[in-house]
Amino acid sequence: MIALDPDANRPKFINVRVKRQDGPGKEPYWQLFKIDYEPELNVITVLQRIAALSETSDGKKVTPVVWDCGCLEEVCGACTMQINGRVRQSCSALVDQLLKDNADELVLEPMSKFPVLRDLMVDRSRLFNALEKVKAWVPVDSYYNMGPGERQLRATQEQNYPLSQCMSCGCCVDACPQYNKIELARKDGETDEEFRRREEKAWNEGFVGPHAISQAVLFNNHPTGKSISGERMDALTGPGGIQACGNAQNCVAVCPKEIPLTTSIARAGRAATIHTIKKWFEK
Amino acid sequence: MSDSNSDSNSELSFFTKHEFAIRRLHSLTGIVPLGLYMCVHLTTNASLLGSVEIFQRAVFLIHSPGPLLPLIEWGGIFLPLIFHAVLGIWIAKTGKTNSSQYRFTSNRRYSWQRWTGFIGLVYLFLHVMHLHGGIHAEAWMNAIDKIGFGQFSPYNAGSSLVAAMNLGYGIIWPVIYLAGVLALVYHFINGIWTAGITWGLWISPEAQARATKVCVALGIVLTVVSLAAWAGAVFPGEDDVAEMRAIEDRMYEAGVVAGTVPENEHKRDLRGRAAVESEIDDAEGGEQASLQDMKPAS
Repeated sequence: MIALDPDANRPKFINVRVKRQDGPGKEPYWQLFKIDYEPELNVITVLQRIAALSETSDGKKVTPVVWDCGCLEEVCGACTMQINGRVRQSCSALVDQLLKDNADELVLEPMSKFPVLRDLMVDRSRLFNALEKVKAWVPVDSYYNMGPGERQLRATQEQNYPLSQCMSCGCCVDACPQYNKIELARKDGETDEEFRRREEKAWNEGFVGPHAISQAVLFNNHPTGKSISGERMDALTGPGGIQACGNAQNCVAVCPKEIPLTTSIARAGRAATIHTIKKWFEK
Repeated sequence: MSDSNSDSNSELSFFTKHEFAIRRLHSLTGIVPLGLYMCVHLTTNASLLGSVEIFQRAVFLIHSPGPLLPLIEWGGIFLPLIFHAVLGIWIAKTGKTNSSQYRFTSNRRYSWQRWTGFIGLVYLFLHVMHLHGGIHAEAWMNAIDKIGFGQFSPYNAGSSLVAAMNLGYGIIWPVIYLAGVLALVYHFINGIWTAGITWGLWISPEAQARATKVCVALGIVLTVVSLAAWAGAVFPGEDDVAEMRAIEDRMYEAGVVAGTVPENEHKRDLRGRAAVESEIDDAEGGEQASLQDMKPAS
């Protein structure tokens, strides 16, 4: 934690501008809230104060602002939102630091690449669907004892550990100019399953995103996980695969876990080159 | 953009199925042949600063394939360029630049890569129309000549280039060329850098930083070369044109006699040049003079 300067001048109030939306597909609108200043707030506490207040700065009673959170220690990713125009976790966004950059107000917006459920809460299903698409797991079914696994080199461990810190928060895809919002509207009479199938089809043709590429690299580098590396490379060179990357490198710049995402993308790019050439000549 | 592929349950399109290979081809064509061609082109043009003879010799060499040249132009330059441009526009449309929100250097480079691509495409269209003309059918060339297009004559390379740059008050074309060429140099150099990541050549941040240094060095060299090429075409005035033309004509006629230059009056600049011709006729005697009689009325 960063200690507060005891001599600094503190404001009396904090202005919080929130981009609200009443439901999926509804028009977003802005509301300004004014809460009393307290030292050492994070954005989650600010949102709790706003919920308790449920009143805009001009005294209008409103429904509490909806948001999502879980661990409150930056390891679950649930509270990810755009704070002062930059995507990050609201639990680790400290208000005193934010006020140093912009003393006038805090601006809270939902993530820009996922369908908004309500206010600051979004549906990140596509993010997890991408992990399924690249089979981001070790394929063991634990039916019988397979004995001790292959030993991992120290160098491999050190390469893999940073990648394993991904918490699937979605910061990387939110800042990525090549990752576009996919938001479908449910048709009349469409069942949950039908709607989900249609969504998955659209997601699978959209860009998988840096997080999924990095996880594919992680598991392709794992002694047991690499047994299905070909399937992962097929997914990464298929529709919506690594080719959609435009090398803007925002992913690595906004990643709260400082995961070397662009290194993963370049490694996957090299693997994709080799995979495609090999596959072509082995046809 | 949000629900573009929502409604159909049909099979994936050919493009979607082969997107990976198509986009790798896009990356490749940007470097070979297009980028490589641009380097050769700019270097050739920069040689005009050396002398009219060096430049004209290089153009004779380029034109030595004769009837095969259009095939090389279309197969090696125009078709790859059209492919790269069409796919490039599509790629740019699949993304949404956000460098005003996320002001990171590489994100700005990403935006600039798209903007310079558009600028370069408009510029290249103007450039090809202005000098080359696109199709070398006589009726077409005569028609576009009236609006100041199709101005380059390969066998009077330097003089026709300088004269073409002087059209339009001698400022419009130089400005267009400077902006266009510099945009394309940026597009090429940044394209090499991103291609290195795309193909998996430079992987770690350290390797990418080293690649950046190499690319910046290459970019500086190519910028100097393109400024030299630009200066060579822009700085000579109207007075120099006649002098250049006399040298080129001497080289052409000697080349035809020596058998090193395929005779082709269409590749000469035959507009309004009686004064220069009579000078040459006086100097070189009767045999070459008969060549002049073969020229088509212009």
